[in-house]
Amino acid sequence: MNVHEAIKNAICKIAPGIDESKIVPKADLTKDLAIDSLARVELAMALEDSCNLTLSDEELGEVVTVGDIIALLESNLGGSNA
Amino acid sequence: MPNRVVVTGCGAVTPLGLTVDETWKNMINGVSGIDYISMFDTDNFQVKLAAEVKNFDPNSYMEPMTARYSDRFTQFAIAAGKQAVGDAQLSIDGSNTYDIGVIVGTGIGGIESLSSQMDVLARRGPSRVSPYTIPMMIPDNCTGRLSIELGIRGVNMSLISACASGTDAIGMAYQMIRHGELKMAIAGGTDASITPISVAGFQQAGALSRSNEPGNACRPFDARRNGFIMGEGAAVIVVESLESALERGAPIIAEIVGYGATSDAFHITKPMETSEAAAKAIELALAGLNRDEIGYISAHGTSTPLNDVSETRVIKKALGEQAYDIPVSSVKSMVGHMLGAAGGLGAIVCCKVISEGILPPTINYEYPDPECDLDYVPNIARKKGVAIAVSNAFGFGGHNSVLAIRKYNGK
Repeated sequence: MNVHEAIKNAICKIAPGIDESKIVPKADLTKDLAIDSLARVELAMALEDSCNLTLSDEELGEVVTVGDIIALLESNLGGSNA
Repeated sequence: MPNRVVVTGCGAVTPLGLTVDETWKNMINGVSGIDYISMFDTDNFQVKLAAEVKNFDPNSYMEPMTARYSDRFTQFAIAAGKQAVGDAQLSIDGSNTYDIGVIVGTGIGGIESLSSQMDVLARRGPSRVSPYTIPMMIPDNCTGRLSIELGIRGVNMSLISACASGTDAIGMAYQMIRHGELKMAIAGGTDASITPISVAGFQQAGALSRSNEPGNACRPFDARRNGFIMGEGAAVIVVESLESALERGAPIIAEIVGYGATSDAFHITKPMETSEAAAKAIELALAGLNRDEIGYISAHGTSTPLNDVSETRVIKKALGEQAYDIPVSSVKSMVGHMLGAAGGLGAIVCCKVISEGILPPTINYEYPDPECDLDYVPNIARKKGVAIAVSNAFGFGGHNSVLAIRKYNGK
């Protein structure tokens, strides 16, 4: 699974009913996708499960947009799994 | 002078159906909602049966996001609450939002959410525990969510008294409306605890039937009864001052005319040997009423060896010789024990008995117990006009709660 798809699946899992077309790199998680601070932990869990990695709280705290998640996952995966 | 209080709407999600109508139709046909537990693997359990709510889709009643972050007990309450408001033809807006309260009882609360997050804690540590853990597990989440869903800004609280919770929630709403603190309330009970930890806990307490025969496992008042069957669901009504109901031309289903609540102060799980406190609760609920009008008792009737004989004694202690003339039935023979929701359903059963003139049966009644010697409406529904119906609910902790509901005759 590529990183974009993994992120889309994780977001749909934690925010059922969301308009998938809004999940684009520049989308702001809070403002555009209504993923609040509570739902972010759920999102981290879903990403960890689907990508088989562990994300640190510091890294997650810096995430603002979907693009930031893509960058974070790509750096964690080292491109090997993309 | 205190306000008169009426019921103007009913909603329910039960093991016999996803609405009041479906549930009632199955009840009067003596259908059992009990089957093998499908919600988890019972291989290591002595208990195999439960009365699960089937085919419930929370998305029919709320946004998918609300459903995902609500425990099943809250989802049930939202579904039943919305049905009740629809049945009462009640519009909630800025003009009445502070006049309406949400008071829904639960015995257990969000135990499935708590259990699953305890697994996360054990496997992945505290930083992966869901931030929704607390809102999803706290017992008042059912009323918090329901108040948001319905836009209600009056009192919002859950009320907890084990298996009497639903009855006490309605009793509390009745008292508040009677004394003019609210005009209306969405009141009742909800529970969803067919989970490994709660089934194990009740199993270890010796309270549950270990029967392997779904069709006849739950047999209240029968000599071969052997424990209760866990049920789940929600039963919620709209309770309203008579004045408010008349003013808005609401359908009046029945009138609540009494509520009694007492405590055994005896033992944490066993009923009081002398039956005194529970009989007192019935007497309090009937205070000032014409006892000749009592035509039906919706029993707590759990099918445990202790409850059913104790409840029989309680009814006789409260009503004397008259007890032998009043039909008593337990719908738990069909829906199992819906715990906190049981009292809400008891109130709805009384409303339906009064409005339809039919008594639901106690199914699986085969072998008389000499100590249970009342008329339990065995196996087949019975036609009977009823003026006053009484709903009993008792709970671990010594709770005894009783509602008296009367036919509303327009004056």
